[in-house]
Amino acid sequence: MELDILAMAYPPLIVFTAALLVLVLPRLAGFAVGALSLAAVLAISLVAPEGQHLAGTFLGFDVVPYYVDDFSRMVGLGLGFLGVCSVIYAYSSEASQTLVAFALVYVASSIGAAFAGDWLVLLFMWELMAVTSTLVVWHYGGEAVRAGFRYAIFHGTGGVLVMMAVAVHYVEVGTFIYSDTGIASGIPALLAVLGMGVNVAFIGFHTWLPDTYPRPHFAASVFLSVYTTKTSAFVLYRAFPVEGTHELSIYVAYMGGLMAVYGATFALLQHDMRALLSYHIQAQLGYIVAAIGIGSNLAVAGAMSHLFNNILFKSLLFMAVGVVIYRTGEEDLYKLGGLWREMPLTAIGFGLGALSITAIPGFNGYVSKGMIFDAANPSYYGQPEYQALYWLLWLGAIGTLLSFIKLGYYVFFHGESDIDVADAKPGQTIAMLGLGGACLLFGVWWQGLADLAPTIHGLEFEYSGGESHLHPYSLSHLETAGILTGVAAVMFVVVRKPLSKLDLGDPAMVVYPATYAVSRWTMLAVTETYAAVDAAVVGFVTRCYWIGNNPVLAVDAAARRLPMVDVEERRQTDGGRPSTIHLRTSIGTTVLLLTILLTVVLWLLLK
Amino acid sequence: MSNIDLIPPLLIVAPILAATLPIALGLRYDRTGWSVATITSTGLFAAALALASVVYTSGEVIHTLGGYPRTYGIQLVADEFSTLIVLLITGVAAGVLAYTRRGGPRGNTFYTAYLLLVGGLLGISLTGDVFNLFVFLEITSIATYALVASGDGPESAVAALKYLILGTVAASMYLLGVAFVFMATGTLNMVELSTAIPAAERPVLIQTGFAFIVVGFAVKVAQWPLHTWQPSAYQQAPDGVTPLIAALVSTASAYAFGRLIVTVFEVDYLAAMPNAAAIVLTIGCVSVLAGTVLAVIQTEVKRMLAYSSVSQFGLVIAAYGVVIAGNSETALTGAVIHLVGHGLLKTGLFLGAALVAASYGARTVDEYAGLATDRPIVAGSMAVLLFSLVGIPPSIGFVGKWYIALGAVESQLWPVAAVIFLSTMLTLAYAARLLEKMYFTPATVVERPHARGPVATDGGDADRDDDSTPDSEVEIDDGRAAAGLRGGAARNPVSVGMIAIVVVVALGAVALGFAGGAIAELLEPFLTEVIN
Repeated sequence: MELDILAMAYPPLIVFTAALLVLVLPRLAGFAVGALSLAAVLAISLVAPEGQHLAGTFLGFDVVPYYVDDFSRMVGLGLGFLGVCSVIYAYSSEASQTLVAFALVYVASSIGAAFAGDWLVLLFMWELMAVTSTLVVWHYGGEAVRAGFRYAIFHGTGGVLVMMAVAVHYVEVGTFIYSDTGIASGIPALLAVLGMGVNVAFIGFHTWLPDTYPRPHFAASVFLSVYTTKTSAFVLYRAFPVEGTHELSIYVAYMGGLMAVYGATFALLQHDMRALLSYHIQAQLGYIVAAIGIGSNLAVAGAMSHLFNNILFKSLLFMAVGVVIYRTGEEDLYKLGGLWREMPLTAIGFGLGALSITAIPGFNGYVSKGMIFDAANPSYYGQPEYQALYWLLWLGAIGTLLSFIKLGYYVFFHGESDIDVADAKPGQTIAMLGLGGACLLFGVWWQGLADLAPTIHGLEFEYSGGESHLHPYSLSHLETAGILTGVAAVMFVVVRKPLSKLDLGDPAMVVYPATYAVSRWTMLAVTETYAAVDAAVVGFVTRCYWIGNNPVLAVDAAARRLPMVDVEERRQTDGGRPSTIHLRTSIGTTVLLLTILLTVVLWLLLK
Repeated sequence: MSNIDLIPPLLIVAPILAATLPIALGLRYDRTGWSVATITSTGLFAAALALASVVYTSGEVIHTLGGYPRTYGIQLVADEFSTLIVLLITGVAAGVLAYTRRGGPRGNTFYTAYLLLVGGLLGISLTGDVFNLFVFLEITSIATYALVASGDGPESAVAALKYLILGTVAASMYLLGVAFVFMATGTLNMVELSTAIPAAERPVLIQTGFAFIVVGFAVKVAQWPLHTWQPSAYQQAPDGVTPLIAALVSTASAYAFGRLIVTVFEVDYLAAMPNAAAIVLTIGCVSVLAGTVLAVIQTEVKRMLAYSSVSQFGLVIAAYGVVIAGNSETALTGAVIHLVGHGLLKTGLFLGAALVAASYGARTVDEYAGLATDRPIVAGSMAVLLFSLVGIPPSIGFVGKWYIALGAVESQLWPVAAVIFLSTMLTLAYAARLLEKMYFTPATVVERPHARGPVATDGGDADRDDDSTPDSEVEIDDGRAAAGLRGGAARNPVSVGMIAIVVVVALGAVALGFAGGAIAELLEPFLTEVIN
């Protein structure tokens, strides 16, 4: 019975309530409530019965705010677990209550988007997520404000595109409820790809990501790094589900491949640690997007597993880097070094995350990335058209390895540390080791992960063609991993020197000055035009008003300009009030007019 | 049914017969006129309601006078269209009579003229005979001349004379038109005519007749440039009379014109007649524009409202043009609703203007400054009525204009549609002037530096503006100062009941706005009958 009640509780509402409580309760109690609310989300995700809940109508539209299936269950698990760790981490990272309250509202909207069962609720949660995440960024002040503003513009634009997509979808389908085929093809699909593309950082739409995430409080970065992008990737899956066939899918898949390479490359070039990690968000999203684009059962399983794993290790990395920033106050990785002696726990946490994200055997990233590789590889389960994609993903993997070797090397090794710092605080350690443990767990006990992945757990890991079973630790898979790691290690030795001299900005960053100039000038043009029109209209209305109030003077003024009209000076007879004009037509004139009119009418009717 | 049958003749005969009573009894008793008029108008309103309940449930009521066949006899017909006008006439007449109890004018001659006017108007509405229509037009006109002339001062006499001459010329035009049609068809009954006209051997006679009728009604309905009698008549008539005349006399004429178009000549026949639709449309549209422009440049409130009537009736005539040109049921609905709605609105506005004149002596737009703070209820009601006149929903003014505009758009008469939308803007121009004065201009303390002594002689509507210097190009208004001088001694000239009537009219204008669809439904049988 209690289980049922727990199952029926609407997760976002619990988190939202917790967010309000954080504001009013004492700090420790508030954070405890926040963590508990997210633990509740975790529990609910495990036990909630499958199907549509709280269904009803809103403004005459059928809506399903709370929809549980294997997909949302998996995402809910990940988001809930991470949420608990993040709140604990934030507690010992001296995050303010306001920040955590904002973050929890943001988390609530993100969970709401994950559990949405129709496009209308999704849209609401999507916009709410954009607003609340902007608030999380803004709350930090300083540099973050302008970055947050750019962030808001991007997400506002993306939100409008998604809104249009949903509107056109409704026009074509007639319901907002999710269907097996995802969003309607054609215009809705295109708009949805573009709008969601902003949130999942398609190349060209991604600049907000490395721009925004390094700026706010490092605990805020932990929240930000996960909820928006991962939820959006999941929503992208809702638009392009496994049963659906969209002609756009192949482009989405290749966009994913390019994102992996692009993200990894620019990650490699970064000096700022959080910027490096931000580019890796894009790279890892690239894998997920590619897998969603491929859209086979295995690919979707890979996408969902990688999404789930990414939630774990990406936040773990942000936490570890956050601790380094917290203790050293330094953001530039080249100015650090040898920290493993100073902060071994943090180094372990970072190591677990780095090994996972770089897909080293034994860690969860290896399993999920392996699924995506296999789904793309034409010699396994992939289609021939994914050959190039496979190589792109390969390159992305090497880039990932390289950049994490670089990050780890420069921060934790590379000579002696010249500063004395303490290690992570207990709360931070718990959070990091919790996440790291989960990474390791799902790497070793890969069956558990595969069992969680929606599209394959019913199939007993059997596939047609190829090996017909999921064998992450088969010889050929291990060989691939070995080659990748080897290539990367050798390359790092080669490029280490030249790389340290490079500090390349993102070419897409040109967008900002350009946008700034364009928007400034258009704004000036618009306001000036408006001012001119306004002046003209006000002048016109004022004149009309004057004429209306002083008809006599107006007639006089007009008459004076006419040739051959004598206007006699008017006497002020009435204390200043202008006199009236006499337009009285006499009886005789009227009869004349009547006769003329009658003549005209007769002529017109009888001619 | 036989009883119901008797209501139409009673509606006409009762007021005309009762009109003799105040004079006759006045020889002996002094104060009988009020009771006679009250009893009669209450009875008329009740009878109109009874008639309406029958007409709108079981169709039209026809009474054949004297039992003579309709080929040469006279019929009285109450159908969905005429009953609506009868309701308006009896309702407004009763309301205005209630107002005059305190607001004036009073006296047995007034009550006689009043009853005669009501009888004539009801005759216009109910008659089914084109010559009989002329008779009732004349009865109405004569009563109106008398009422206008009862205003004090020479201006009233001049206005009444102007109205008398032009009204008579117009009636003669109509009579000539009827004569031409009679020559061609040999009958005067409307229903008979509708079959006889298309079959007439000499259509030239019909066309000539139509031309005379159009010009006759252009005067009667006060269409530009033949409106010249109307502003003076409205302005110079006693304040209590203007609402009656403004709301009903031209409305009844416009109704009669519409009746002739849809029932006698019939839309199909006129549509086939070259230029007929264009003439009616042009007269209407030109009046809309000219009337509004003239209204904007007025300084006197009553005169401004009078010109506003020119433009609003122009709208109705333009709607008739749309009916002919586009065979548009929607435009006819709009014309009927606007006819009734405008009658109601002008009743309220002129009653409001009378109230303000009675309590303040304010007659010009400038003098309305600060009215909203001093007389919030009257100002509020007038504001509601003005907004309704502009056509802001929800109000009866909006419903009528909406249907007319819709009809014009449906018939793809874009210039007409443009004029209608433009007229809304222009109406706003003069309505806004008044609103601005009432609500945003503070009252000036010293208004008249050269006030002259009061010249009130009759006490009833003592605050009338009763002098304007001949040869002077200014209109001097000293009513306010006169009121100020007299104010302390005179009893409060405005009663709660008078204000209540204005408020009720304003509320009715809004309520009818919600009932617009219902009115259109009531009219439905009539529309389907006359529009194919």
